[in-house]
Amino acid sequence: MIGSIILTFALVFSIISMVMYYLSFKGYRNTISYARIFYHISSIFVIVASTFLWYYILTHQYQYKYVFSYSNNSLSTGLLLSSFWGGQEGSLMLWILFTVIVGIILQSYTSKRGDLEPRVMTVFTIAISFLLLMVSPWFKNPFELIWTTPVFVDLKSINSNYLNLPFLQQFLIPDPQTNTTYVQVSSTLFASLVQNGIDPYTFIVNGRGLNPQLLNFWMQFHPPILFIGFAMATVPFAFAVSALMKNEYKDWVNQSFPWLLAETGILGLGIMLGGYWAYEMLGWGGYWAWDPVENSSLIPWLVGVAAIHTMLVQKKSQSQSERIGRYTKTNLILSILVYVLVLYSTFLTRSGVLGDASVHSFVDPGMLVYLFLIIFIGTFTLLGIGLIVYRWKDLQSKTPQDEGLFSRELSLFTAAVVLCASAIIVFVGTSAPIVGHSVDISFYNEMHVPLAIIIGLLNGLSLLLKWKTTSTQELLSKSVIYVAISLVLTALMILFGGLNDIMMILLAFSSVFIIIINGEIAIKIIKNNLNKLGAYVAHIGLAIFILGVIGSSAYGKEKTLNLVKNKPTEAFGYQMVFTGYEPIENDKKYAFNISMNKDGKTFNAKPVMYIAEYNNSLMREPSIVVLLTKDIYIAPLSYEETGNHDHSNSVQIEKGKSVNFENITITFEKFEMGSDVMQAMQEGRDFQLGASMATVSDNKKIPFHLYRKQSGDKVEFTSFESKELNLRVELLNLSAQGVELSLSKLDEPKQINKKEPEEVLVVNASIKPFVGLVWIGVLVVVIGFFIAFSRRLKESQFSS
Amino acid sequence: MKNKYIIGGFIIVLFLGIMGYLFTQSNIKYENNFAVVKSTHKTVKATGSWVKEKSYSYDTEKNLFSFYMKDDKGDEMLVVYRGAMPNNFESATSVVVTGSYQDNYFYAKDILTKCPSKYQEQSNTQSSSL
Repeated sequence: MIGSIILTFALVFSIISMVMYYLSFKGYRNTISYARIFYHISSIFVIVASTFLWYYILTHQYQYKYVFSYSNNSLSTGLLLSSFWGGQEGSLMLWILFTVIVGIILQSYTSKRGDLEPRVMTVFTIAISFLLLMVSPWFKNPFELIWTTPVFVDLKSINSNYLNLPFLQQFLIPDPQTNTTYVQVSSTLFASLVQNGIDPYTFIVNGRGLNPQLLNFWMQFHPPILFIGFAMATVPFAFAVSALMKNEYKDWVNQSFPWLLAETGILGLGIMLGGYWAYEMLGWGGYWAWDPVENSSLIPWLVGVAAIHTMLVQKKSQSQSERIGRYTKTNLILSILVYVLVLYSTFLTRSGVLGDASVHSFVDPGMLVYLFLIIFIGTFTLLGIGLIVYRWKDLQSKTPQDEGLFSRELSLFTAAVVLCASAIIVFVGTSAPIVGHSVDISFYNEMHVPLAIIIGLLNGLSLLLKWKTTSTQELLSKSVIYVAISLVLTALMILFGGLNDIMMILLAFSSVFIIIINGEIAIKIIKNNLNKLGAYVAHIGLAIFILGVIGSSAYGKEKTLNLVKNKPTEAFGYQMVFTGYEPIENDKKYAFNISMNKDGKTFNAKPVMYIAEYNNSLMREPSIVVLLTKDIYIAPLSYEETGNHDHSNSVQIEKGKSVNFENITITFEKFEMGSDVMQAMQEGRDFQLGASMATVSDNKKIPFHLYRKQSGDKVEFTSFESKELNLRVELLNLSAQGVELSLSKLDEPKQINKKEPEEVLVVNASIKPFVGLVWIGVLVVVIGFFIAFSRRLKESQFSS
Repeated sequence: MKNKYIIGGFIIVLFLGIMGYLFTQSNIKYENNFAVVKSTHKTVKATGSWVKEKSYSYDTEKNLFSFYMKDDKGDEMLVVYRGAMPNNFESATSVVVTGSYQDNYFYAKDILTKCPSKYQEQSNTQSSSL
């Protein structure tokens, strides 16, 4: 309760702060200090509310629906802390928390820079108010009590002291499928508890826990970093709108630039960590699946990077005293789009529109939230784009004339165009499911290969171009040497690296081109001024990244292997032997040991499989052997014990069918499954499956039963013998397809035909050459962003 | 002349052209009517449910996973997928398979399972890792 109240107050204060800031912008003098006070109180309330949520999670207060839904008693402290963002409500809360913290820094930043504060903070507080409305009790409130709407709670999670309460019976709902009993927790139950003098807050003692796929180290870092990026995306928007409010476009670029650099750097890092998580943990096989969730955060990132390029031109042309500078309109539009696209990303992933399109499953939050999200995006789009339209004439008249064809300005603009093109591709592909379509992954890949080639060549060439114009001849003579070196290196890759596809060759060439030119400039700069290194480092990182993508995607190999225990199997030149499995992590999971041998060296892979209690599903975790030039990626598929018998003289009978043996008809009538079989299977307890059988001979029916008994890893089959019929029926296997029997006469000696049981581990093995360059590349890009950030932060202080 | 408009315009037209072409090439429609799915060899995303009564099978040697799927009208088809049974398959109530119908079965390139269990909210897989 208290959490909701605090959040509601935070919303009210945020709105008051917004009004006060707006009045200050309109010229009122006394309002600014109130605006600041209310902003800070609002922020403190958000921080306090977040602390409460963490406190409730850490102290297991399952009366809160959110705490019940995303945590339980067995989570470690680190994972409990990250349960905070395990669900929608909490991740919104995290977004708000970071936004208000960013706002505190932004307030201090803007208050030191002329009359910026009232305008920027007006826009910023609008954004915060919308977000706070989102977690208010009307929408996705993380402090909702569990009684508010009916929820089914496993009987095991109920305080055992209360299990004997007579009135509890009417709330029990058994589920025969999973053999679990649930308690329907609702306001009626709440009332009954209170009536009987029981404290309802002590009623539930355990939660549902986190999805097993989230129980991971990266869960603690990837979402927060991504949300810091999202929170910071608000800032360029606020700067752009505040420039439009004042109709003054000179200073905002310098002021907004470091924020944009930091935002794209952090968002990029967050996206990469998500990719690494998917690669290392979820076993998607790669680092990027063009999944809507990944894509939707990539789109604002691409647009942000595009904005960096054109803002650079505006800054540069301003310094040459050309009025407001070039590409002002482009910069305003892109800065606004970054935040609008972050909101659009939220809409895609939270409104339920992508229900069928993603491996992430999306909770349908209901019509109200859907509408609210549309209003949220609509408001910000209208605010930003509407203001641009309103100021269009002014902007037009203040923008300087055009420049020559070969100039660095134009190539920077073209870079932005290419980046926007990439954003449009991802946008179209990701949004297609809204109108009932969907694109194949090849759509993204095929579109991006030529774009990446263009980016590479463009970047190399643009660095050879001067600001203003360069003569064609000068350009040619300068680039010859770089092109030659790149050609030689690419040729070496073709000869020794087995590069053979024309697009991949072009791509490799353009990446090498980037590295050579940027590397040369970077070396020059290191001697003079480290500060200016950012862009070159970022571009070298990009090239390293592209080379990693070429290696791992275009030249990776993949194979499905059936590894029979202790029998070496050859794959990619490695002798792979499955040597058995062992329980790990308190017997909750099983690690399957595979040893890989090549040229006398041995590597060990331990992919993991287990049945997760959370959703009763088989979960798989890949194992990666990281070598200098490649990763060996082993994703487990299944583990089976098969081939216990020689099936040559066996018969298979489907359910309801019969076979004839020596004038006896043998019928498989039906399966016999105890009600707790499924659960026993999952929990690894002993269980048995049965088959109802019957023999008919001379119109005399004899029913009998056969069983498959499992205890631990041992499987036993029963048999049936009848002296009257001179028949022996042995069960060899019992599966969904039916029963497999061995039929023989009793007076004939029993055939010995059993083989050694075989244990088979099926894995998907792949070789990913140079996948390490992907991570290194992105990290270098991020470092580049931060070098540029520190330089531009200093610059932003010297503006008028 | 305004160079940037000429170059920009050219790039945009070229780009939109290629994108439009590739979009139609790789465009996959959602289809919940299996009669339509069976009538074409085009790649579609067929949505329906797993026929639990007919179970499923996994051929370890060929690495083929197969099961029956039906649409709202009860129209059934056999789905074959190269690979292991997907996570969550057994608890799936609704299945989306991407692929094409050939030679009396649906060859799936991709299987997506949705598991809205009635005793849980519909938040089975990563509900919001974003």
